Order: sequence, then structure tokens, then C-alpha cells
Amino acid sequence: MSILAVLEERDGRVSRISWEALAAAQFLGAALSQPVAAVVMGGQTESLAAEVAAKHSGRVIRLEHALLEPYTPDGFTLALEPLIKSESPTHVLFPHSYQVRDFAPALATRLGEVLISDVIAMADGPIFTRQLMQGRLTGAYRHTGSGPCLLSVQAGAFRAEPVGAVAAHGASISTFPPTLEAAQIRTRPGEPFRGSEQTVDLGSAQRIVSVGRGIKEAENLPMVEELAKALGAELAASRPICDNGWLPMERQVGSSGQTVSPQLYLAVGISGAIQHLVGMKGSQCIVAINKDPEAPIFEVADYGIVGDLFEVVPALTEVVKASRR
Amino acid sequence: MKIVVAIKQVPERDAPVRIAANGKWIEETDLQYAMNEPDAYALEEALQLKEKYGGEVVVVSAGPERVGTVIREALAKGADRGFHIVGDDVAGRDALGVARLLATAVRAESPDLVLTGLQSEDVGMGQTGVIVAALLGLPHATLILQVEKSQAGVKVKRELEEGWFQSIELPTPAVLTIQSGGTKLRYATLMGIKRAKTKEVRTVKAADLGVDAAPVVALEEMKLPKKQKSTQILPGSAKEAAAALVEKLKFEVRVL
Amino acid sequence: MTLLPPTLAEPGRFSETERWIFIALAAASLTLFWLRFGPILANILQSKKDADFHLRPIGRRVWDFVWEVMLQAKVIRQRPLAGVAHAFVFWAFCAFAMVTLNHCATIFGSGFLNPRSTAGRFYDYFAAAFAVGCALGIAGLFVRRFLVRPKWLGALSWESGLIALLIFVLMVTYLGAFFMPNSGAGMRALWWAHTLTLLYLLPVIPETKHLHLVLSPFTVFLSRGGFSRIPPLAGDEDFGLVAGKDLTQLVSLQAYSCVECGRCTEHCPANHTGKTLNPKQVILGVRAYLNDCGPESAEPLLGKYNSQEAAFQCTTCGACEFQCPVGIEHLPIIVGLRRGAVNTGAWEDEHGGKLFLALERGSNALGLSAAERDKFVEKNALPIFDGTQEYCLWLGCMGGYDPKGREIVLALVQVMRRLGVSFGVLRKEKCTGDPVRRLGNDLLFQQLAEANLETLKRGQVKKIVSICPHCVRTIQEDWKEFGAAPRIEHHSEFLARHLGQLTPVQSQKKIVFHDPCYLGRYRGVYDEPRAVVSHAGRLVEAPRSGERSFCCGAGGGLAFLGEEKGERVSHARARELAATGAEIVGAACPFCNTMFRDALAAQGRGAPELLDIAQLAAQGLPAKSAI
Repeated sequence: MSILAVLEERDGRVSRISWEALAAAQFLGAALSQPVAAVVMGGQTESLAAEVAAKHSGRVIRLEHALLEPYTPDGFTLALEPLIKSESPTHVLFPHSYQVRDFAPALATRLGEVLISDVIAMADGPIFTRQLMQGRLTGAYRHTGSGPCLLSVQAGAFRAEPVGAVAAHGASISTFPPTLEAAQIRTRPGEPFRGSEQTVDLGSAQRIVSVGRGIKEAENLPMVEELAKALGAELAASRPICDNGWLPMERQVGSSGQTVSPQLYLAVGISGAIQHLVGMKGSQCIVAINKDPEAPIFEVADYGIVGDLFEVVPALTEVVKASRR
Repeated sequence: MKIVVAIKQVPERDAPVRIAANGKWIEETDLQYAMNEPDAYALEEALQLKEKYGGEVVVVSAGPERVGTVIREALAKGADRGFHIVGDDVAGRDALGVARLLATAVRAESPDLVLTGLQSEDVGMGQTGVIVAALLGLPHATLILQVEKSQAGVKVKRELEEGWFQSIELPTPAVLTIQSGGTKLRYATLMGIKRAKTKEVRTVKAADLGVDAAPVVALEEMKLPKKQKSTQILPGSAKEAAAALVEKLKFEVRVL
Repeated sequence: MTLLPPTLAEPGRFSETERWIFIALAAASLTLFWLRFGPILANILQSKKDADFHLRPIGRRVWDFVWEVMLQAKVIRQRPLAGVAHAFVFWAFCAFAMVTLNHCATIFGSGFLNPRSTAGRFYDYFAAAFAVGCALGIAGLFVRRFLVRPKWLGALSWESGLIALLIFVLMVTYLGAFFMPNSGAGMRALWWAHTLTLLYLLPVIPETKHLHLVLSPFTVFLSRGGFSRIPPLAGDEDFGLVAGKDLTQLVSLQAYSCVECGRCTEHCPANHTGKTLNPKQVILGVRAYLNDCGPESAEPLLGKYNSQEAAFQCTTCGACEFQCPVGIEHLPIIVGLRRGAVNTGAWEDEHGGKLFLALERGSNALGLSAAERDKFVEKNALPIFDGTQEYCLWLGCMGGYDPKGREIVLALVQVMRRLGVSFGVLRKEKCTGDPVRRLGNDLLFQQLAEANLETLKRGQVKKIVSICPHCVRTIQEDWKEFGAAPRIEHHSEFLARHLGQLTPVQSQKKIVFHDPCYLGRYRGVYDEPRAVVSHAGRLVEAPRSGERSFCCGAGGGLAFLGEEKGERVSHARARELAATGAEIVGAACPFCNTMFRDALAAQGRGAPELLDIAQLAAQGLPAKSAI
């Protein structure tokens, strides 16, 4: 009886969300009094295994095969299935990454199971909580099948810090050689590439700093540009700014411009006219800086700073720069 | 190219959701339904492929009588035929149970391509397409933005994390789950609705398909999430507020 | 010089040869007229029947005919100088009907206007008076067209000059007779000159815009009535104006009636701001289509003959239809072309598609979650309508979601509470369908109208008040196709009725009122909002106001489409409003409000403040907390 945590590699190292998955597995292991084994997989797993062993007190299983590089859903499914069958764990945890979403459901099917995906919390039972109806409700799930329970955990739902907080001891690295044949892998993946190198692509930007009428003069724009640069964000604007020609039209967010949905949308001196709101309402986190506490932008914002942008923006730039150093 | 598109009917995004008395699902009376948006993108991709290469688009949906409206909607937008697996208990099945139903329909149609949305807007397990592929022993790819014919079968553009993409070639028949936003959806037209009236919709009872309905995961209870979204105003001087904001962005929102 | 009685009626002085020449020429003229007019008439008659056409109420038709045709009221009112000149020409033509008949009868010795009888003499002088007016009028119009050359008349055409000349000659040859001895070669020459001119003019008419002489009285009499009345689609194969087979008899009649005066274009906000749309060309495009392809053709109407781009630049402000002196109803035609493009899926537009999808899947045109409206209702403790209150306060998309629109609603709420008028808002409300109606999406419009009618019926709503003229119009008129809606009024009407109970604002601020198209031209409400404005300050008028108000650019679904070509309509209008020197722009429509917000700001420092009439009315009330 054990719990498996299947970790993922990114740029040769264990990805951040994988550490979170391992933390979740350790949490579950502690609750169920079961040992946790970490699984690293790929074409080369030696350094990954060492990286995990440095932080994880328990078994580290290397699932290594030339055909696991590059990733294919067939390869990963076929490699993991015999391991799970031989380990017969009670639970198998994955990070809820694009890659896991690609193969784990198929793996679960081969085991006659269903992946409980995108888990945000665990409770006694064990009961696994995940979001429903676009986050408007949550649902508590219980595994009722006879085989192992497969789970993927949402990024950020579990803190990775506990992993390795106590010096690791007694880690043991083992290998599990999968039997894979080239003919079993049906898909032919190409090299990853970046999206088309457009000059401005607000639609796919992850962070956007957007500036509005509150900036007053075109001469004040560099101040906001500096903040955008510090945040690694694209610069955007509300319509009046583009109307004035202070920024090109392609940087306009709103009903007559672009519709954006970044992770972070920082609205500087934007009051929040409806034409603007409809263009950015899909942003995951909205921050507003405005001197008018009644400005409608605060209605949709997650965080707000009521104050003079000419003071707040430079201050924020400083803090961001300092935090990124 | 013959394409099957699996679509789901979900509560309208704006619909006020209430938890049903048994706490296990939402109250369905007075609820309005719509086509799951990611499935709408899958349908759009299928229609564009048909326009480009010719062939046929068949839509499949499982659920109670009301599901017929999304099938009609798909026919109105240009699908050729409908396949309705009628069952009142579909919402109670887990992803595997639903996929088994859909797989029987796909098997009956033996298409070149099966498309479906990446995930549903209600349950959001994001697995049905992949499970159908596994059940039928077909290759699959997920998070697909573009599809074109290739020598071996199809060449697709898959979205990776953080703005990266990748091309994948896979032999047909294959299953693809479509990511939203890769193309523009067409709007429903009066002409489409009128033309759809004469299109064929085949109905099969879920119970007659003889597939296992016993769930392996069960939704025990539904709840309202603990915190509702509200605006946090960060007080203090410009410096203090800025510092507080960076703290939040780093540790609560985790975007820095 | 003595004025002699006119001798044109003098019988018995024509030779047999002359009679035969006249008969031959008249026959040739009539034949040529018919050869030209026949196909036009056939095109009109062979067009599809107007499914919803009713001759009743006949009284309205007779009145329109008398007012617009006989009295030339519209022609004169919209362009007084040219209008009066035209009226004289028209009246002279009427007076000349008898003269002309008599004239032709004379050659056969059967003239019936006996110059020696009092009646005959009276009529001759009566016609002469009109002839003088007509000659002066036509000369004036000639000067205007060929020397002043207003650009709305379009390129110079030799036909217009020729026709003016022919009419002038007709008048002169008639009047000349008064100065001629009864017998003699001069008189005979005049008779022939008059006759030849007449016979020459007749076949020219169907070939030129002077066809309106024949058709426009019918066009005015037979018009659909109402303003921008969009006909219901008839049957399963009607998707709007797709091809010739969809053109109805009224549309064809109207297309052939256009006199190319350019009033429609002169007042078109799109045309004014550098867009492709030219309402006159839309009508002439349909006419050219009918001439080339006929009313049974499958050739698309949008393409060679009319541009899709232009059709979708229309703000549906209705200035064209309002101005048209010959009874052309532009909006059903422009919206009809849009219906044809949208109902068949031929129109592809990023923003338009987004709007349609937002309304297919959600409740409002802005694509926001209905929960946002709930939050607003909850936060401001707006009562929910439960059937006991007097009014249902219809929020609309702008009132429910737009921050500015919400301010208007809250101002109105403040006034209603002050007045002690009970009201409630609906728990659920969908877009009335105004933008999709005007963009030609009949499927969505029907769905929205039916869903809302159902909600209102279930809620037992009896009276509605709304801050949005678009909602008011759509609920009151456009929903009729799908059921009867409760009585609805615009908040300007409500406020004006209750002004007596509100303390006037002691302010001398100059307020310029902008008439929203959908309140003014569409609903005929001009005085009520002005009463509210006067209650709050000093009313000033913009150069274009009342029924000639210039659009803000938002109507026709354009508020939801992308960036405009050319100058923004809103900027052109904001400049005009700011130039009045007013301190406040009074608006009465949340769409105008949202358009002017940016446009006024672009006028730079000192631009007038923008307030809705509800906000003006609420100004005099004690602060919110005191209520």
C-alpha cells in the first residue's frame, strides 16, 4: 500500500507544480499513514531523481526509456500502466498540467478508473474538492472504484514549501524499466514553438498594464511603461489614450479594440467605462489604481489602490524591481 | 472526411445556480441550457474542415430530452446529422460512464475524426474526449487549435503552457479535444434553423446500449465556495500600498 | 398693353393635316412613354406582395396624401426655399391638367374651356397665375441646381436641365398666348410649341427621376406608415432582402419613386463622417438592380448593386426616412438588406459575431454575467417587481451593466422614491433585442422578444418605465409581432408629468439638449425632455435639434461594432454640442451618453458636462441619505 506522485520535468528540472503535487501526496500520505513514492519519467531521469531525493524522504522511482522523450500520451500511458499495476497504490497524484490532462484520463481508463482532476483541497475520507460550474460551486468527490484513485492537483492549491522543509533522509532511488516499442507510439510530436511573433499580441499576453485618461499627458507614459517592463507585462490602454495617438490603436483594450484575458490586468488611471470593461472582464486578477474611490473599475477589481497614480506607480515599480532581484 | 462531434448541453453560463435539495447536483427546474462552449468550438472546427475537405459532420450528445435542442442548434449551424443518446441518468454518470455511451455512437458511425471540446463548463473534468479515444483504442491529442489533413492522417496545432505551441501528426481515425478560441464561432441564423428542421436525428436509449453505468468516482456533495470575489482596497501610503500589492500578487495570486 | 383673353381654346383653326400630324405625334409620344413606363410598372407589379400590407387606416393615408403631396408640406418644411419653388411647379402641374386636356381637345374643335365664358376665363387666369409661379420656380430650381450646386443633388445631369427647360417652355408658351392676337401665325406657333414640348416631355418622364411625378403620389399614399416599420418575415423562405425575389411591391415602388433630391444623404450621419453609406445610392442601387435583373432574379442585392459595408454603417437614426419627400422608407430597406445578410449567415464581422454569440448564450448585449446585474440591484436595494408596484422599472443592458447607465437609473430611482411612486425591477431581464433587430438577426430577436414577453406576462407587469429610448421603442413597436407588451414610457415622459411635484433647480446654467433619434424621430417625444431640462437650467438648442437632430453614432447596433471608418459620428456631434457654449449637455439615452462621454472629453478642457435628464431632475433633490 502506497501513494504515488508522478512528477513532471520542465527545462531539465522538476516543475514547480510537481512539487505542489508531491506536497499534496505527502499530506495525503500522512493522513492515511502511507508511504509516498515519487515517480520521475522521461528519456533521462538521473538528475531529476537526484533533485527529488534531495527533498523527499521516501522512494523515488525512475521510469526511464528513450521513447519517453519527447512526451507522447501513448508513451506515458503505456509506461505508467505496468508501474501502477505492480505498485498497486491507493492513490496516484499528478500535477494538473496540460501534459497530465493529455494522458492521465487515458491511463485511468486503462485501469478502469476516472481521474479526479483539478483538485483544490483534500479532507478526511478522503474527500477531494474540485470546482464546478466555472468556480461558482465546489464539489466533494469520493473514489468508489476498486482500483487506485487517480488525482490531479490544481496549480497553487497546495504549497510546495513543506517539501524539503525537513532535511530529506532515507531516500532510495530505484528504476522501473518500461517495455515500449516505437510502433506503439502513434502520434508524432513536433518541436515546441512560440506563437507568431507579432509586434503586439495583447490577446495572448499573460500580464497587461493598461493606462487610461488619468495619465493626463503623453509625457507621463514612460512612467507606466517602466512599470510594465518591471512586471514583464504588455502595455495597453483605454480608448481615449489611443484616440489621442499616445499609443497605437492596436494597444486599445475594449469593445472597439482587443478583448484580453491575462492572468494579471493592472489598470492605471482607468475609470472603467463599459466599453473598456467588456474588453478585460475575463482577466484572472484585476488590479486598479485610481484616485477616485467611486470609479467603476473598482467594482470589477480584485485589488484596488485608491491614490494618486503619479505616486503609486513609481512606488510599485520600485517594489516590483526589488522583489524580482 | 467524416467527423463526429460530441457535444454537451450545460446550464447557461448566466443561469443562477442553486444546489438541489439532496446536495448532490444543482436544481434543474427553471434552469436554462446552452451548448457547452468548448464543444461549440469543436463543432466550428468540424464545420470548417467539412467546408475545406468535404465530407459529413455528425453530432452526438447524451442526455435527457432537452439535449435535443443543442443537437438542433448544431444542425442549424451546419452539421448534417444528429445522434441523441437519450437517458435521464447521464448527469449521474462519471466521465467514464458518459464516454462509454459516446463511444458506442462513435463506433456505429466509424468516422475519420472525433472532435469534442476540451472540457465542459459545468463539471469541467476535461477528460471525455481522451477517455473515448482510450475506449476505442484510437490515438488522440488535446488542446488543439488547428487541424489540417496530412499524408498520415491529420496535422494539428496543440497549445502548450506559457505561450508555446507544437505540431503533432497523428493517423486517423483519431480523437481531438479542441481548445476554445482557436477560431471564430459562427452565429446561428434563421436560415440554418429552418434548414435544420429536415435533418435527421437518430435517437437511442442509453439503457439499450448495455454499457456499465456504475461510477468509480462519486460527487458526494456540492457547496458554495467559501470566498466570493470582492475588491480588496489596499490602504496606506503609496509605498505601503505598493508593497502590500506585490505581496498579494506574489503569494495569493501567484502571478509574479 | 392690353391683356387679351387667351386664345389657345380657339377652335376650328386647324387644318386636317395638322390634326393628323398631331395624332401621329401624340400616338408616338404615348407609345414611347408606355414602352418606357410599362417595364417599370411590370417590375413593380411583379414584385412580391407585401404580406403585411393593409389599406386601413385609410384616414391616415388620406391625410398623408393631402399633407405631403397636395400641400407639399414635407418638401417645403425641410428645404423651405427650394420647397416653395417645387410646390409652385407641382401646383401648376395640377392646374395644368385641365389646361392640357383642353389644349389637346382644341385641335379637334372640342375645347371645353371657353375663354368667353366666365368659368373658362377664370380658369385660364387661375392657371396663368400658377404658370407664373411655376416658371419662376423652375427657373429658381435651375439656378440652384446648375449655379449654386448643393452637393447633395449629386453630379450635374443634362436631363435635369432639359426637363427644367421643357417645363419652362411649357409655361412660357402658355403665358405667351395672353400677349398674342387671337389669330395669326404667332399663336399657331405657340400652340405647336406648347404641344411639341408636351409630347416630348411625356416619354422623357419614365426615363428620368421625373418618374416621381407619376409614382410618388402613390408611394406616399401606400407607404407602410409608422416610422421605420420593419415588416415581419413572410413564410419559411423569407430571410429579408437577399435577392430580387425578396423585393416587395412597396420596395420596388419606392425605389422607382426616388427623385434623387439627396435630402436623405444630406442628413445621414454616416455619410457626413466619411463612410461609404449613401442612403440615396442604396435606393438607386435597388432601382438599378430592378432595371438590370428584375424582381424575380436570384442575383444577390448586396454585391454589385449595393455594398454590404455601407448597409452595416447605418446607425438607423432615420434622418433619411424622416426627410424623404416622396415616401421612401429607407430603414425597412436598409434593415431588410441586413436581414438578408445576417439571416443567411453571409455577414461576417468580428464584433457583430461576438454580439450575436453573447446574446445567444447570455442575457445582455455587453456579454457580461447576469450576476453583475444582480449585484447592482442588490447593492442599491432596488425592489424586485412583484405585481404590487405601479411601475416595472426596465433597466436594459445599459442601465443594468454600464456604470454610467446605472447612474442614470439611480437618479431616476431617487426621483421616483421622492415622488412616492412605487416601482420594482425584474429579477431577470434579457436584452430587448434592439441591436440585433437593427442588425437584421431575426432569429435572436424573436428569441429575446419572446423570452422577455413571457417574463413580463408572468410578472403581471402593467406599466413599464425605462431610461433607454431603444428599449422603449423595441418593446412598444418591434415586439408586436410576437405578442402584446405592457404600456411603456420613456423616463422623460414620466419626469415631465411629475415635474410639478419636484422643486426646480435654481440654476442658470446653459444646457443643450441632444434629441436621441429613438426618442425624437422614432417616438415623436421632443417637448418632455426639454421641460425637464428647463426645470434644471436654461435650455439652449443645437443647430440640428428636434426632428433634425444629428445622431450620436450608437444606433443600429453600431455601438457594439468595431471602430468606425472616417470620423466618429459621436465626435462630429459632440463638437456641435460643445460649440453651443452650453455648460451641460443634456442626454436622454444611455447609448448617447456612452458615446458622448469620450467624444466630449476629446473636445479638450472646458468641454461641457454630460448629464442625463434623470440626473438633471434629481439635482434639486436632497442628498441620497436624506431619503
